[in-house]
Amino acid sequence: MTENKTTYNEAALRLEAIVAALERGGLGLDETLKLYEEGALLLKTCQAELIAAEGRLNELRLEDLEHELQTQEAESNQ
Amino acid sequence: MTGRAEVTTGPLAVGQFVSLVKRTLSHEPMFQRQSIKGEVSQWKSYPSGHTYFTLRDDDGQLSAVIWKGRCTIHPSIKEGTEVVVTASLDVYVKRGNIQLIVERIEPVNTLGAMEEAKRMLIERLRHEGELDRVRMRPPFVPKHIAIITGAGSAALADMHRLIDNRWPGMRRTVIGVLVQGERAPEEIVRALALTRRMARPETAEKRSEPPVDLVIVGRGGGSPEDLWAFNLEPVVRAILASPVPVVSAVGHESDLLVSDLVADVRASTPSNAIERCIPVRAELEQWLDELDHRLEHAARRTFGDARQRLVSLHARLKVAPLAGINAAKRTLLAQQSNLNRATEQRFSRERTRLAGLEAALQAIHPRRVLERGYAMTQTEDGTVITKAGSLAVGQAFNLHFVDGTAEAAVTDIHTKEE
Repeated sequence: MTENKTTYNEAALRLEAIVAALERGGLGLDETLKLYEEGALLLKTCQAELIAAEGRLNELRLEDLEHELQTQEAESNQ
Repeated sequence: MTGRAEVTTGPLAVGQFVSLVKRTLSHEPMFQRQSIKGEVSQWKSYPSGHTYFTLRDDDGQLSAVIWKGRCTIHPSIKEGTEVVVTASLDVYVKRGNIQLIVERIEPVNTLGAMEEAKRMLIERLRHEGELDRVRMRPPFVPKHIAIITGAGSAALADMHRLIDNRWPGMRRTVIGVLVQGERAPEEIVRALALTRRMARPETAEKRSEPPVDLVIVGRGGGSPEDLWAFNLEPVVRAILASPVPVVSAVGHESDLLVSDLVADVRASTPSNAIERCIPVRAELEQWLDELDHRLEHAARRTFGDARQRLVSLHARLKVAPLAGINAAKRTLLAQQSNLNRATEQRFSRERTRLAGLEAALQAIHPRRVLERGYAMTQTEDGTVITKAGSLAVGQAFNLHFVDGTAEAAVTDIHTKEE
C-alpha cells in the first residue's frame, strides 16, 4: 500500500524533473541518453498506474462481503 | 387544487377534506423530520408493538406514535421524561387528529450524556496524541477504493456518479451498512475491519484485485442523532486502526464529528470526498502526453545538436589531411623557390666573380704584357728566363714579341749584384 501510494506520485515528480533537466540542455550525450531512457520508463510506469486503477465495481452488503472473505480465507487455510 | 375545483361544484365530504389536510401537511418540509422537545405523558405501549404518548409542555401538546421497531426506546423513558423527538406531522384521517410519527426519541439527559461522552472521547484522543498524529496521504491514483455507506443511499449514488465522471470504471468496493440507528456503529466497525483485511496484499491476491488503498466512510446529512455513530469510540478507533488512509465523509456543516477529527482526510460531504481524492483521468493523461512530447523533443534536440557537431567535425576531419598536404606543398614550394632564388643569387655572384677573375687573368696574360712592349725570353728548350744570372755569355735564346720571335745571343751579362 505504501508502495502504491508513492509509485505514481514519485514517478511523476521524477519524470517532471528529468524533462526539465533535458529541456535546460547542456548535458552530455551519455547523461542525456540515460535520463531519456529513465524518463521513458517512468512514463510507462505512470501510464500503467492509470490503467491499474480500472476495475470491477463490487457492491455488497456487509454480511455478504464478510461471508465471502471468510470463505476465501477458509479455502486458503486448507 | 383539485380540492378547490370540487368546492365550487358542491360541498366537500369531510373525509376528503381531512385527506386534503393530510396531503397538504405532508408536503410541508417544516413538518417533516423535525426535532421537537417536550415532556412525555400518557405513555402507553400496546401488544401490537406500537407506542402512543402525548408530547407536551406548558404551552401546548400533540399526540405522538412510535410504530413498532421504528426506533429504539431508551429504557429510562417514562411518564414525565424530557425528550427530544425527531418526527413528522401526520393526520389520522379517521379521527381527524393530527399526530407526530416519531422516528427517534432520546431523553434529554441522555443526549446531554452523549455530548459529554463525545467531549471526553475527544479529550482522551487529544491526550493520546491521536488528534495530532501524522495523517496518511491518500494515494494520488487509488487502485482500489472501499466505500462504506448506506446501501442504495443518495450519498452513494452521488459518489458513483462523481467517480464515473472523473475516472470512468475506477475500481471500487462498496460495503453497504446501516449508517444510523442502534446497529450503525457496530456495522461501520465491522466494515472497517473488512477493509483492513482487504488492504492486505495476501487477501487481495486471493481476490485477484489490488489491495484496498483508500477507504471512504460516510453518509449524507441528517440530524445530530442520525450522525451520532461517527462520534462513538468504536468507530473512531476502527478509523485509527486502518492501515490505509480513511476519508471521513459525513454530510453536515455545523457540528464537528469525532470521525472528522481522526480521519486522514476530512471531507464535508460524500461528494466532496470524491472530488478531493479522485483525480480526473483525462487531465492526467493529457499531462502525461505533454511530458511524453517534451521528453522526446528535449532529448531529440540534444542529440540533434550533437549530431550537427559530429557532422561538422567529420567534414573538417575529411578536409584536414588535404589542408596539411597543401600546407606542406606550399611550404615546399616556398622553400623550393627560396632555394632557387638563393642558387640563382649564388650563381650570379659566382658569374660576376668569374668575370672579375677572367678580367684579371686577361690582364696578366703574357700576350697583354707583350702587347705593351715587353718581350719574353726563353731558352732554346722553352724555359722562360727570368734572371740574367741564369744566362751565359754566348748562349742563344729566343725573344718572343707580340707578333713573333727573334733569335738572339748573350753578349754580356750585368747582374744587379755587380
